[in-house]
This record gives sequence, C-alpha cells and structure tokens, in this order.
Amino acid sequence: MKILQSWLRDFIDIDLTPEELAQKFTQLGIEVASVEKKGADFEGVTVAQITHIEDHPNSDHLHLVDLDLGNGKSQRVVCGAPNVAVGQKVPLAHVGARLGKVVLTPAKIRGVVSEGMICSSDELGLTNTRARGILVLDENIPLGTDVRTLYGKADALFDLEITSNRPDLLSHLGVARELAVLLNKPIKMPTPQEFAGEGESLQVDIRAPQGCQRYTSRLIRGVKNAESPDFIKERLSAMGLNPKNALVDVTNYVMFELGQPLHAFDRNEIDGDTVVVRWAEKGEKFTLLDGRELTLDEQALMIGDEHKATALAGIMGGQNSGIKDDTTDIFIESAYFDAPVTNKTSKKYAVSSDSSQRFERGADIGMTELALKRATELFVAACGGTPSQIRDVYPQPYQNPVVSFTPAQINGILGADIEEAKLKDIFARLALHFDASGDHWTFQAPTHRRDLNHRWDLAEEAARFAGFDCIPAGESRAFVGFSENPKGADLLEIFSQKLAGLGFYECKNIDFLGEKELKDFGFAPKNAVKIKNAMAKGWDYLRPTLLPALLKNISFNQSRGNHDLALFEATRTFGLIKGFPAEAYTVAGVQCGQLVQTPFFKGKGEKPDFYFLKGVMQDLLGAFDGVSFVPSQEAPVYMHPKICMDILVHGKKTGVFGAVHPLTLKACDVKENEVWAFELSLKPLEKNFSAQQFKPAKAVAAFPPSLRDLSVLLDKSVPYAQIQNVLQSTPLPVTLHFDLIDLYEGEHLPAGKKSVTFTLAFSAPDRTLKDAETDAAFQALLESLRAKTGAELR
Amino acid sequence: MTLQQFKELCAQIEREYTDKIASAADLNAVEELRVASLGRKGALTELLKNLKDFSIEEKKEAGPRGNALKAALTQALEEKTAALSAQALNEELNRVNLDLTLPARPAAQGRRHPLSIAQKRMTDILSKLGFTWAEGPWVEDEKHNFDMLNIPKHHPARDAQDTFFAETGSPLSLVLRTHTSNVQSRFMEKHKPPIRIMAPGRVFRNDSLDATHSPVFHQIEGLYVDKNVSMADLKRDLTAFMKGLLGDKTEIRFRPSFFPFTEPSAEVDVKCVFCGGKGCNICKGTGWIEMLGSGVVNPHVLKNCGIDPEVYSGYAFGMGVERLAMMMMDINDIRTFYENDLRILNQF
Repeated sequence: MKILQSWLRDFIDIDLTPEELAQKFTQLGIEVASVEKKGADFEGVTVAQITHIEDHPNSDHLHLVDLDLGNGKSQRVVCGAPNVAVGQKVPLAHVGARLGKVVLTPAKIRGVVSEGMICSSDELGLTNTRARGILVLDENIPLGTDVRTLYGKADALFDLEITSNRPDLLSHLGVARELAVLLNKPIKMPTPQEFAGEGESLQVDIRAPQGCQRYTSRLIRGVKNAESPDFIKERLSAMGLNPKNALVDVTNYVMFELGQPLHAFDRNEIDGDTVVVRWAEKGEKFTLLDGRELTLDEQALMIGDEHKATALAGIMGGQNSGIKDDTTDIFIESAYFDAPVTNKTSKKYAVSSDSSQRFERGADIGMTELALKRATELFVAACGGTPSQIRDVYPQPYQNPVVSFTPAQINGILGADIEEAKLKDIFARLALHFDASGDHWTFQAPTHRRDLNHRWDLAEEAARFAGFDCIPAGESRAFVGFSENPKGADLLEIFSQKLAGLGFYECKNIDFLGEKELKDFGFAPKNAVKIKNAMAKGWDYLRPTLLPALLKNISFNQSRGNHDLALFEATRTFGLIKGFPAEAYTVAGVQCGQLVQTPFFKGKGEKPDFYFLKGVMQDLLGAFDGVSFVPSQEAPVYMHPKICMDILVHGKKTGVFGAVHPLTLKACDVKENEVWAFELSLKPLEKNFSAQQFKPAKAVAAFPPSLRDLSVLLDKSVPYAQIQNVLQSTPLPVTLHFDLIDLYEGEHLPAGKKSVTFTLAFSAPDRTLKDAETDAAFQALLESLRAKTGAELR
Repeated sequence: MTLQQFKELCAQIEREYTDKIASAADLNAVEELRVASLGRKGALTELLKNLKDFSIEEKKEAGPRGNALKAALTQALEEKTAALSAQALNEELNRVNLDLTLPARPAAQGRRHPLSIAQKRMTDILSKLGFTWAEGPWVEDEKHNFDMLNIPKHHPARDAQDTFFAETGSPLSLVLRTHTSNVQSRFMEKHKPPIRIMAPGRVFRNDSLDATHSPVFHQIEGLYVDKNVSMADLKRDLTAFMKGLLGDKTEIRFRPSFFPFTEPSAEVDVKCVFCGGKGCNICKGTGWIEMLGSGVVNPHVLKNCGIDPEVYSGYAFGMGVERLAMMMMDINDIRTFYENDLRILNQF
C-alpha cells in the first residue's frame, strides 16, 4: 500500500520527519518496504555561484569559498566538499535557513567563521545516499532563485507492506487512525458536503445475502465528465495510477482515501429501475471491462439488472456498463461484499483488482455511506449533476463481538507488567465501546477492526501500542523430560556422518523431476506423486529416487573441471501406495574418477572399483543386523545388468549398488563411462534400530590360533559366495576364521578351473590347539568343499 | 699377590677403563673395551682369578671390591652404548630431507552439506534447551498444513503461501507442506502438554528459483505448550537460542507482525552481528537483522488440536535455515546450496 504523508495530514496532525514516521510504522508492525522523499523540506536556500576558492589557513581539506548571490552581494563560507569548483551554481543555505528541523547559525570552523553553508543533496533532505560532495545545479538557473521552488513541496511516499489481517490499513484514513492511537492524537474524520437528494435512487434487490451484507448506492443525474482536479491527479499518480477523468478517478481516490471500493455504472446501461445482487448461473458468460470473457458458476457473485449482469461483484465491472465520456447519469455502488466469496471468485478466474484485494481481506461495513457521500461531493464538484437520495440496504447491521477479560490475563499472555492505567488508555482509544469499571473489562472493536475477537488479539494491541520492548525475557524454567529422536532422522544422521567419513560429499537437490526421468529410471508415473501446479516442465513429480539428481550433480561438476567425485544425498523420497502418498528416508550415493583429487598426487590416486563400493556398503551397513548382499537377479534398468547387487535386510530387498548403466549416464550427461552408485531405503532398518542400544562386544581369542593355507582347484562357475558359505557352515569342534588370499585363473590350470587360496586360522577359547585337532578340522573343511563344490586340493 | 697389590691393581683398572669408556668414539670401541676389561681374558677377569689364592679374611675384603668394580664397569659400558646409539639414531633422523610444504594428499574425508551443518548447529542448541525432535509428512493434507493452523480457505493469508498441490488417489486435498508448522498440528493432535518440540525439515513454495528464492528450502520450528507460557518465555528462550547460535553478546528485539497461527505475533531481529548495531550493508543500515517469526500460539490453533486454551498456552517460532546459512557463511545466492559445486562443498 502506497501512503503519501501529506494525504495523512488530511486526517491527523503529524509533525514527524519521514524517517521518524517510518520508525513508528516499524514499531506498529507495519513493514516499510521503501520511503521515497519528494520535494523540498527546507527554507532559506538560494542559488549562488562560486567565484573564488582558496585553501583554509588551518586545514588541509577545507576551503574558503566566495559566492556571488546574484543581488550584487557576495558571501564567503567554509566548505569541505571534494567536488567544489569555481563557476559552479550551488544551493547556499543562509544563516537562519531551515534544513528539515535544523536551523542554520553562523559556525566557527577551525578559526574561520562561516556564515552559510553550501549544501549536499542529503543535507537538503532530497536524497539519503550518504554521498559526500555538494549539489551542483544547472547552470541556466538564475542566481538568487529560491532552491525550494526547484523541488516542489516536501512530501514522502511510503510503500507499506500490510499484513492480510489488517485490511483497515489499506487506506490513508486507516493508517492515520492507527497513528492516532499510537500518538494519542485526534482523528479528523472527513465531513463531506450533504446533499438533500433529489428523487429516488434505483431499487436494490439482494438475492444473495450471503455474498453481500450491505449495499449503499445513489444516482447522480446530469453529470458532465471532466478532467479531475489537480490534487486528485497528483495523489493518484503517486499511488501509481494514471488519472483518466473525474468519473473514473473519484472512485479510485475515495478507495485510497477511505478504503472503501466504489463502482460507478452508466445509469443508461442498466435496464429498468432495479439493481440485482445475485449468484451467477452455471455457465453464465460475462465480459469484463478489460475484454476478458469468463464462464462462471453459481459461486460467483454478480451485480446486474433484471436482464443481464453488469459487474463481477467487488472485483471488476463489465464491458457493457462502464463510464464513458458522454455518460450523463451515474449509479454509484458502495457495498460490502463477503471476503471469502470475493477471494474464491478472484482466485478461480484469476481476476484481481485494488477493489477485490480490499474486499477479500475484509472491508469496513461501516464505511459505505460515508464513502458514498465523499464520492458524491467530489463528483459534483468536478462534473456537476444532481444527486438522488441515498438507498442503503443493510438488513443486519454488523457488530463485533464483545470481549471480556482482565488486565492480568493481558499481562499473562505477554509475560509483561503493563500498568492498568496504560492498558485502559490504549483500549479506550481503540474501542468502539470499552468498559473498565469492573474486575472484568469489556471491549468491542469498531467495524473496521474485525480482527479483534478475543483477549489474545487485545494483548497484541496492548504490546504494539505500549511498544514490544515492554515484554521482558522471562524468568528461567526447568524443562525435564526426554524423548528419542524419530528413528528415521537418527538413521539419516548416522548414514550421513559415515558417508562423509568415507569420503563422500553431501548434496542437496530440489525434490522434483520429470516424466522422462521417471521412465528412464524405471518408475511408472502412475506410482509417483504428481504436482498439479508444477512451476516448470521437468519438475512435475516428487522424486521416488535420488540418483537422477546425483548423476546430474556429477555432470555439473565435470563441466566445472571436477572429475573425481563421491557424492551422496540423504533425504525423503516419495511414491504412491494404493494411491496414497508414501515417504521414505533414502540414502543414495555416486562415485567416479579417482579417490584423491589433488593434481600433484593424481598419478598415485586409486580408482575405486566395484569392490571398493562394496567395502563402502559394508562399512555403512555392517553395524546393522540381518543385512546381506546378493547379486541382483534382475538389475534395475538404470544399472549395469551384471554389476549390481541387491541390499537385503532380513531377506527383503531395500536397495541396490553397483555400476550405473552407460545409457543412463549418457541420458544424465555424465562424461564418464564408469560410475558407481548405491541407493537404499532406510525403512526396513528403522524397525530394529534404537539410538539407545549399545552393541555388546564379542570375546577375542586368548590363545594363539593354528594357521594353515588351503589352496583348492574348482570350476570357474562356482561363485565365491558358495565357497564362503561352505566354509562358514561346515560344523567344526573348533573356531574358524578365514581370509581369501589368492584367486587365480589362467595358465598352468586345467581348462575351466580356478585356484582359490585361503589362510585358515583355527582356535579354541580355552587352549592352544594340538596339531591333530587342527589337521582334523582342515580335513573336514576340505571334504565339505569337495562334496559341495567339487573342489580338489591343489 | 698380596691384598695390597690386588687393591692397587683394582684401582688402576678402574682409572684406566673409566677414562677409556668415557672417551670411546663409537660402538666398536666400546665393544673392544668391554672385551679388554670384562671379556674372558679381560684385565679385570684375569685379576679376579687371583681371589682364590687369598685367605678367607682377605677374600672378605677383596671379593666385594672386585665385584663392585665389575658392576661399575658394566654400567659404564651400558650407558656409553645407549648414549652412542641414541646419537647415531639422531644423526640418521636428521639426514631425512622431506619437503613438508608440498600440497597435502587428502585422506578420504567427505563433507556434510553447509545446510546440514547449519541445521545441526540449530538442533544441537535447541536440544540443550530441552526441545525434542518431532517430524511430520512433507506431502500434507490441507487440514494440518492450513485449517488447523487458523489459515482458513478463501483467505488471502492462504494465497500468500504459494502452495504446490499434489495429485494423488487420496480423498484429501494434499499439498507439499508450505512450512514446518504442520508438525505443530500433527504433534499437538496426538500429545498432551507439556510439549516442547523442534521440527527441522524441508518445505516447498511455488516460487521461481532466483538468487533469494527457491521452491525448496529448509525451516526449523519450535513449539512450547504448558501452563502459563507467555511472550516473555519466548523472549527468554529465543535469546538463549540466538546467543547459542551467534555468540554470547547477541541481543534480540521483538517487532509486531502477523502470522495466522500466533497471536500476538512477533518478528525477531538480532542486533547485527557484523557491525554490532552501527549499521552496515548486511543490516541495510538498520543495525538489526530479521531472523525469524514467532508468537504466542493462537488459541484457535490449540482448540483445533484439542488443547484447552483456558488451561494451556504456548509459543511457537519458525526460522529459515538458508537465511542463517547465507548470512553466516557469506553466501549471497540461495541457488549455491542446490548446485552442489564441489568447490563450494569442500570448503565446509
């Protein structure tokens, strides 16, 4: 909302600089987006020309400057501006001049008396740039000119951000009223000229009482459209509007002044003598003033006559009934339209106006008559004409609820100690009716403050007008109680910390992706959460996987010269289960290039391979029970078909890791043909996880183990996991620990065979094993391997 | 050999070898001295062979004298050996010539995202202030995201949130939550006071991506509901929170504002940490920086969640993680957080 300081003075005497006023607004909770100073707030400054400059005898940066005043006189002053030069025409403030609130007196500057001052733009209050240097004026301006005449009358234009609970501040009267309460000053309500009213106005038939609670109107017959008077044109221009003609401008002017939106119809476009307020018919077509054609439904509120609609109530008039240059009779509407009804229609058809913005926040139902009278006065003054009587249809006069409370309750909400007298004073100034005679006070707000409904609202008012600094920092309280973090949050943190420790960099990506990416990654769009009002193509769905974004992160970093990357993201992913949205904590990572990034060591850097990734997964998941990895029977489409393992938790698949499919890399613009990736949902881990659990330690062997190497020959097709399984499951009377130390395929072996070598460590918890025991265990393992894998001792 | 002669010879050996051991130049010399004195044919060994010829009385004097000398020489030899070894090692270590100023070879240490670091700072402090962690869905129904929080349908306050709507098979109208405040309604619906929770997480607004806006960003919410909770409790706790975050000298101020779910509502400013309140570019000359929104929980919200506002009261606050991170990490474009440029990520 744009507010002109001079316009406020129509309603309240304020003697504040724009800066002081801005501070008051901030104190009241009205954010000041900008202050634009207009005109000159000074006196006694004239145009003078610099004729001579010499150095100040006692300073290395000050000068003594002689000026020609234009009336045959000259003046010498002290000046420190760096840009001063002979020949410049400059604003000279004389002794006695007023600059804002400062009155200039002679000043002794380093021993030299200066009677006058050459001013900068800031000093004249024209700017607030803090720039040094005097204001240099146009050389064609005659000497001796009063500088004030160059800049017009002083004023300030505030751009205020009005919160949606305070529609009453969307007018100059409203802002003045707020200041009146704060500054304890009387408000000068407008008292428009009263017209007796000649003849009846049109009948008004409110057939939609839910949409329109008051309709005040009158006719003005015999007007002649004209240009608006200067003050209306100037003020509307300041509001950012282009003045058109009086019949149009006056309605806008009154709205900015009093907050009441008005609409003027051409009487001769209204058939018959009745104006109807009704709901639209389903499918009804209506063409707006701006030419747009709407197809409406029964929730839209219309103004019209018996035959047609003439306006979308409170939002915009129709093309068929607007004011024209030759309009002679006007019908002025000053109504109260329901806030939600206006909001719904304005949003549904994307039609918004200064009028609809006020109605949808809640206009002042008590203002319609005064606004109509004010508009009448201005219309008649500019365009002549004869006003009719006023017709005011207001079936159920509105009253705000009466709030009952005690001053202790107000202070209790605030934790403050505002004196009763002060509270009384504030509430009395705010209220329509206020009674503080009993223990319980009662307060009823005027119609323009529908937001004051209970004591919490009044507590806020008390604090606002007493100053929020009245709220102290409370005495300390103890907070006892403990509850665990959500498991998902704890797990995300644990995984993130581990991954960072394993060399991965955490990324955060926007949660949206497009249909193509969904399909590229094997997700059916029907199982993804779609966004109805996506802001961009390619951002239509909530992502069910984190990998597409991570691969794009690789591409992004590659294009900026970084090729050795290990990235991860840990956040929620989204899907639909039977149509309902489901969110899962998910961790995913990608890795490519070398492990070390410093160029000097690059040659020595290690390139991660599948087994490195498997190690990462083991480190990541080793602490959790029931986790196992098995080669994927069917790898996801975005993974290498043969280099991909499933992550199982108690036998149930919860993720995969392996190499990304080259086509996926291409689709994601990754310039690298080997990228390792993993993604897993943490949901299955949550069940058995508790941050409060300690992991019990296993005893370590107290006696040295007996070591044996085992080297066997078996078919190439036997996977390591099978051999491992045999070693683990063969029943032995002793404890076995084994390490794979060699795997060989190639020369010197029979065709189709491979050689596998282990170091076996046999031990017992209570003694050193005898050779015979070790030999027996070794033989048992060999037998087992023979039987189950066809292995032969090498 | 007389006892007298034995004693003289002892003294002579002691003098001779003590001097020689002390001045031995290297380990070989020490070994030679050991052999010459204590070896099988060494001077002292040979001398001690004479003990057997002494009378019992003489042995009582000559025996200890000889043994003491043997022990003394042994110790002197060991000490000299240790000293020369240490010296040799030291010389070897000092021969190493490695350019320690060469660039580091990074260990495999990754990094957390700056937003995670900032969020963790906040949750850590709030945890110390007794807030426990609570969560809610990111795809949320309008009831919990708006209605229960006193943001009615067909009200401009609801329009101001630039909501993303989700298309699902649910009969409820679902949105991507526009703030972490949905956790308030979720939590209060299920729990009775006292309630003291924090809710960090992602939120969504239909805002185009530019230097100061992102359709996805992070907030952290605080909620405290108990008997007699007031704005003063809020001021105390936020002062502690901001001091924890920005330092002991941090000052805050309340400024009136409007949020549908709080009444009274306050914006909270902190005295500019960059200029100490004098006015600078970052605080735009005002000396204060807007940090978060807060207020006393609106009684309608309590009622909507089944909590009696005549018995209980509460406060709530919500703060942007990006905003804090941008300010404190000197990042002036919010997109920086979502580009994931390694050159940025590896700085934290």
